[in-house]
Order: sequence, then structure tokens, then C-alpha cells
Amino acid sequence: MIKSAFVTFIAATLFAAPAAAQQAIPVIAIPPLSTPKDVPTKFGSTLQIAWQATQLIGSDLRSTAEVLALPPDQKDFYSYPEVTAPNYPKWRAAGVKGLLTGFVQARPDGRLAVGCYIYDVDNRRELGRIGFVVAADDWRRAAHKCSGLAYQHMVGAPGVFDTRIAYVARSGNGPNEVTRVAVMDSDGVHHRYVTPGGTRVLTPRLSPKGDRVAYVSFANGAPQVHVGDADGEGGAPVLPSSGASFSPRFSPDGNSLLLSAVTAGNTDIYLVDLRGGGARRLTSSPGIDTAASFSPDGSQILFESDRSGTQQVYVMNSDGSNQRRVSFGGGAFASPARSPDGEKIAFVRRGPEGRRIGTMKVDGSDVRLLTAGPSDEGPSWAASSRELIFQRTEGGRTGLYRVTLAGNEPRKVMVPQDGMDPDWSGVRE
Amino acid sequence: MIRCLMVLASLLSGLAPAAASAQPRIVQRVLGRPATPQQPVLVGIDALRADFLARSGADTIYFAADTAVLSVSARATLAAQAQWLRQHPEVAVRIEGHSDLSDTRDHALAVGARRAEEVRQYLLLMGVPAAQIAAVTMGKERPGPGRTVTVLVR
Repeated sequence: MIKSAFVTFIAATLFAAPAAAQQAIPVIAIPPLSTPKDVPTKFGSTLQIAWQATQLIGSDLRSTAEVLALPPDQKDFYSYPEVTAPNYPKWRAAGVKGLLTGFVQARPDGRLAVGCYIYDVDNRRELGRIGFVVAADDWRRAAHKCSGLAYQHMVGAPGVFDTRIAYVARSGNGPNEVTRVAVMDSDGVHHRYVTPGGTRVLTPRLSPKGDRVAYVSFANGAPQVHVGDADGEGGAPVLPSSGASFSPRFSPDGNSLLLSAVTAGNTDIYLVDLRGGGARRLTSSPGIDTAASFSPDGSQILFESDRSGTQQVYVMNSDGSNQRRVSFGGGAFASPARSPDGEKIAFVRRGPEGRRIGTMKVDGSDVRLLTAGPSDEGPSWAASSRELIFQRTEGGRTGLYRVTLAGNEPRKVMVPQDGMDPDWSGVRE
Repeated sequence: MIRCLMVLASLLSGLAPAAASAQPRIVQRVLGRPATPQQPVLVGIDALRADFLARSGADTIYFAADTAVLSVSARATLAAQAQWLRQHPEVAVRIEGHSDLSDTRDHALAVGARRAEEVRQYLLLMGVPAAQIAAVTMGKERPGPGRTVTVLVR
């Protein structure tokens, strides 16, 4: 029974793209990136790098449900002049809506110039272009930026290709369990551990620039919020007291941290100035107020409170004023998070059927459940606002999954160990 | 509602350990301080823990889902623990508040803190000096084997 369900899940994952194609998903062609002259570098010749970058862009775009990228084909080779003068009739005949071309060029200083262009094939015009100079071993980032260019113009939202995911990597069981904060690029590359693994850690949250990470550590026996560099240096407690604190979230400007702290058994939300300005208490209800996060513009704070008897989503101004309840559907609603485009709130609904991930409009209406549960939690938005990453627990194992707002079957995100508490960054500068 | 009744029924019939799988819990760890020369009878931390368990009946207090309300049997257990602690002023205990695995992570930490504080307040009310008691929340992070009640040696 379990096995057959698993097989069904795999099949749904494999065939998600063709099914999506039936709903007028834009088709994008990616002819191999060109190079004006094949020049050797320490990391392969420019022609080899151009082909690897083309394949990476193809796999980036195929990882989303909103566009259908044709598999790159070396037969479609473009000469350098054709990069900016596409053969529209050929691509139109192939049923292509968007055409992404580009080049990789060696520079005298050893670095690479990479440029990409996105064209509307039907209307025979350029939609946008992007160009960088990168170190030869950093061509992946340039390729991710090209993927983002295509996605932005085909879908109308930022792509997730140049983003990072922080999460808790977990191995072993019971007393031998080891948890470490890990950070990786959203495609799984550049995976590294931020904390050493001697103490239990929870809920890592990246700063807006991705240079710092806030997390909960049990280093002194009780949960306490720490902030350290995203490369693993200098994790230290944020609050001077030894009381319990948890649920950290950076403000959009990165200068402050929302967290929950316990006083005499009661949990309330605080805003801590990371530049040394102290902590300010934002809630004071006798209920549990926690899981706070800012709206993208920083003007509002979403949080959950059980002051009504069950966990529900609330919103308040960034100074703590005007607290009001948002969720009124059946069951309990926890862990709210506002989408980057500001339109929706993701949540965990706790009900008789377990924990499920869903979304609602900002006013609490239009509640939609995206996952079947029964043990899903910790939703975090993709930069595109079209997708969420979350934690699913099955048979004592935890894993990271991505689900689109279209409600496709969640896809597992491959990480070296069991994954918990994912946090998805915005697009890097 | 049904769940609460089941919990109550199993507690009344003395089947609390069997009901453990359905209930969050409070674990109290007994931590030792070096035995003083005036108390030669206390030969080690293990002996202390065994004595604490035997005389107070349990090291675990059970709650209904999402609440921190002490039941009648919980109060009886805590009263016995308080009496033992008053007789052993040199022993410190650590109260660990736990929550259900079905809870969300942040809320579980808050619920664990609430339960731990409720137990701490009751022990204070029963005359145990505050310096003897530390309370922490473990949320739904369980360092020991799941759903069993243990007093861990450090």
C-alpha cells in the first residue's frame, strides 16, 4: 500500500511537466549559447562553458511548472551574430513563444563576459537582456541570471534560480541525532554546513542579503536565538538573558530581528535591534504569540496567536499596534508567511486530518489547501510567489518539498541528509 | 473532546504509561550536586534519582492536548515531589516541558514553556525553594527515546 502510493508519487513527479503543458504554458527554446572565439580557460574552453551554461539554463527552466523549456540541442547552434538577430520564422514554426539566446566571451583579464537576450517570437521583438562579467568558475551564477531573465519575461515574476535555501540537516536517531544548519543554492550546488553539529539547532532564517543566518540553538540547554555569518562564523546569542527565545525572522532591511521570548511561561513577540538598540515588546496577550514575520514592505507583521483558544493568524502594524485576527476558517492556522508579491499568506492548518500547507488572501478569504499532509509544516515562499518549500514528515523521516500554487504533487528537494525547517531566500543581488 | 475523555479515563484506571503515546508530557530530570559530608546516605546521583522516583511515584506529569492545566493526579504527584525536594534541599531538578509531535515547531516550544512554568509554579506553591528548580522548554524536540519517560544520566 505504502509502496504503491510511493510509485504513484514518483509517476506524478515525472509527468508533471507534460500535464502542465496542456494549459497553454509558454514554450521557451534555448539554442546553445554562442562564443565569438573558442578560448581555453582554467575551467574549460568558452565553447564548453557556453554549452554547460545552456544545459544549466534548460534544467533551471524545466524545474518550474510555469514554463516549458525545450531541451537544448547542439544542432541548433547559433553563430555569434545570430545571438542578436534571431531566425524568428524557424522558432515560430516550432511552436516557440520565447527564445533565449546568449554568448560567453573570454576577456583579457581571464574573466568571462556573459550576455543573454530574451525574444518574443510571435511579435518579433526583444523583451529584455542581461549581461555580466564573472570569474571563469562562477559561470553558473550568470547562467542562473539568464534563466531568471527568461522566467521574468515569460511568467511576470522573479525566478528562483539565483536563490539560496537554508535548512536543518538531520542525521541519526534518538540520542545519536545530529542537527546542523546548512545553506545551499536552490539547485543544491554549493552545499555547506554552518553549525558544527554538537548541539540541537532549529529554524534557520537567512538575512535579506543572505550574508547572515538566524537560528535557534540549544547550546546552553534551552532554546535561544543565535545570529551568525552565513559562512559559519561567529554564531552568538542575540539576547543577553538565558530565557527561552525562538522563531527568528529578519526585517526586510536586515537591521532588526523578530523573535518570540518566554516570560513567566508566556510567549510574546519582540523586535530586536541588531545594531545594539535593544529589544522592544510588540505583544502582551496572555495567549501564545509566536511565528512572527514581516510583510515585504516592512509595514506589517503577521503572527500566530492562540488568544482566541486555538492558533489563528493575526496581523499588526510594525510597532505592535492594531492587532487583529485574519483567519476564520475551520481548524487552527499556524506559521503565517506573506508572499514576496504581497498577495497571499501561506500557513499550516492543523485539523483532524493533520497538518497541511495552504494559502489564503491577505484578508483571510479564499483558503486553499495545497498539500495532503498529514505532517507538513514550515512553509517558506519562493521569490516567484508561485511556489513554496516546506517540511514533510513520513515515518519519522523528515524531508524538504516544493509545491506550486497550482497544486501539483509536491516534489522532493534532494539534500544529503534528512531536511527540516527550510527557508528560501529572495533573488540575490 | 473524545480524546480528553480517553485521557482522563486511562489516568483514572491507573494506565498512565499506556496512555503516554497519546499525551504530551513533562519530564523532570534530577540533577545532582556533590553530596555533602552531612548527608553520607546519598551515595550517588543514581541513588538519588531512584529515591526520588520511588517516593514521589513518577517523574512525569501528563497534560491534555494543547493545555497546561494540571490534573488532580498531576497535583498529587507534584505534591509528593515537592515533599521530597524539601527534604533534599541540596538536590536541583530540571523541569523539561514537552509538546506533541503533531504541533508546529514554534508553538510547541511555547506550549512546552507554558507547561514547565505551570509545574514550576506548583512546586513553588508547595514550598520548594526557587533555587532548586530550573524550567526549560524542549518543544517537540525529544532528546531521548520517544514517548517513554526517562531520567537521563548526564
